[in-house]
Amino acid sequence: MLDLLFEGWERPAIRRPFLFVLFFGLLFWLDLSAGLLGDGLLGIGPEEEPGPALALLARALPAALIAGFLILDFWLVSFLPLLWQIGVVWGQLLGGFVVFVYAFNLDIPYIVERLPIMIGTGAVLTIGVSAASIGFACMIALVGALARLSKSGPAYAISTFYISFFRGTPLLLQIFLIYLGLPQFGINLEAVPAGILALSLCYGAYLAEIFRAGIQGVPPGQAEASTSLGLSRSLTLRKVVLPQAMKLIVPPTGNQFIAMLKDSSLVSVMGVLELMYLARTQGRAGFRYFEMLITAAVIYWIISFCFELIQARIEKHYGKADKR
Amino acid sequence: MTRKTLLTAATLATGFGVAGLGFAQGALAGEVLDRVMESKTLKVATDPAYPPQSSQKPDGSFEGFDIDVAREIAERLGAEVEFVTPAWDVITAGNWGTRWDVSVGSMTPTAQRAEVLDFPAVYYYTPASFFVHEDATYESVEDLNGKTVGVCAACTYEDYLRGNLTIDAEGVPPFEFLVDPGEIRTYDTDLNVMDDLRLGDGVRLDAGLSALPTVKGAIDSGYPLKVLGDPVFFEPLAVATDKGDADFDAKIANVVAEMHADGTLGELSEKWYGVDLTSTGAK
Repeated sequence: MLDLLFEGWERPAIRRPFLFVLFFGLLFWLDLSAGLLGDGLLGIGPEEEPGPALALLARALPAALIAGFLILDFWLVSFLPLLWQIGVVWGQLLGGFVVFVYAFNLDIPYIVERLPIMIGTGAVLTIGVSAASIGFACMIALVGALARLSKSGPAYAISTFYISFFRGTPLLLQIFLIYLGLPQFGINLEAVPAGILALSLCYGAYLAEIFRAGIQGVPPGQAEASTSLGLSRSLTLRKVVLPQAMKLIVPPTGNQFIAMLKDSSLVSVMGVLELMYLARTQGRAGFRYFEMLITAAVIYWIISFCFELIQARIEKHYGKADKR
Repeated sequence: MTRKTLLTAATLATGFGVAGLGFAQGALAGEVLDRVMESKTLKVATDPAYPPQSSQKPDGSFEGFDIDVAREIAERLGAEVEFVTPAWDVITAGNWGTRWDVSVGSMTPTAQRAEVLDFPAVYYYTPASFFVHEDATYESVEDLNGKTVGVCAACTYEDYLRGNLTIDAEGVPPFEFLVDPGEIRTYDTDLNVMDDLRLGDGVRLDAGLSALPTVKGAIDSGYPLKVLGDPVFFEPLAVATDKGDADFDAKIANVVAEMHADGTLGELSEKWYGVDLTSTGAK
């Protein structure tokens, strides 16, 4: 069944009608339930109440037109060079997003007035907290992974306990424990360091498992070969195992970083003026909630997009060995 | 072998014992007051999600009735004011340690909260009202029986809807639980309730319950809402401190009493609410 689908997909004569029916069905159903396009068309028609057949036609026609246009668009784009294809399709999807956002009827001056604080304070804090946390988390993770792989009982126990606890409890709760719990012992961390500590500990636990998988993914023959060449254990780890493990570690770590970028909004419960916090308070000040939420969404997206580019470069660096 | 295991077990037990030692609860007498007087700063917790009580300006500074009251209190204590902005449920959880000294956040002194916090002074009273979508046809709050009502979580309005609100403060008129909702939906803050209600009458919610000034602020900003009936209760709103420092509480009570007496509070209330809400006679 699945094979048939894949084979059919290879043939434009099957793929295009299939996609057309799919798009048409989706749009037609949307229009029937929400009545976006058809209502507009019926509105400009003759005054009297349209019959059921005419009403159905008014909804089917735009759906068919748009579905047809999409297929045509795919077909035309396929003539472009690959890089252009990607650019054009990104542009079109982005345009769709803009239209969607435009439908909210946003108060643009309200956003512009608040952009300086959103970027100057919010984005800076979000990036700072996330970057510091991912740095510390990587250090914790390396130690955690090595302890988890070591033959020492206590080291293994501490590491697995740590990983189990911090993966198994909600981040919000960990933040509360650190922010409100530690002062009971006389340790008074400010909100930002407390947030960084909580994020580092939580993501360190996830990253430890990623690091462990990466290290275990390097074939044991590599370590054996370097030992037989007389390299010490630490040198083997640093020069032979870790560089090869990095290739496996980087993509999921990048994933975690982007997830952390957004999880860092949880530190707002301690009153850290990061992006999400500012989006809420700035939006509420004038009862313009959507404006600021969308602004925050776009800023988050831009930050993670920049990080995706950096990640691609790091991956390229560690992937050098695979180049032929 | 057995001895060694025993020894290890004993060591471990001691380790756990030490780890579990030493919990100090609340503030010691005079501790907060000394800290404020020495550092010449009064750290005030505020939740800037509630215009016109407390909100954030585009430049990041705060404004509102609570903010002005906090500034005035700090000035009369001879200290600089410094605002911190933890989440509301973190403020109401108590055990503040040295994070902040006082909350000037329009907090209702409920019996439950009084278990972890002290309420040295009530500084104004706010009417709580039900609100509905402007297209709704309800005529009185009793029409909301069996309906879906939205409120902020862990606030007095939720307690009222659940019928377990007890306000233990002087000068508060008695109230009755007039509405028995079919479903209570709780939200992060009141404004989420308004956002859901603005989608239409009965789309997600049938009504909400919040402070009358907040509802009026939303209506002025273009929210399609209307107030339903008379206020269902007046809540006293108090300055809150962490439990335990009687000296600090006495000082705060003094300062607020002064501000009541010389009309400062009344003026600030006129400035932010357009009416004097510093006594329950106000409507």
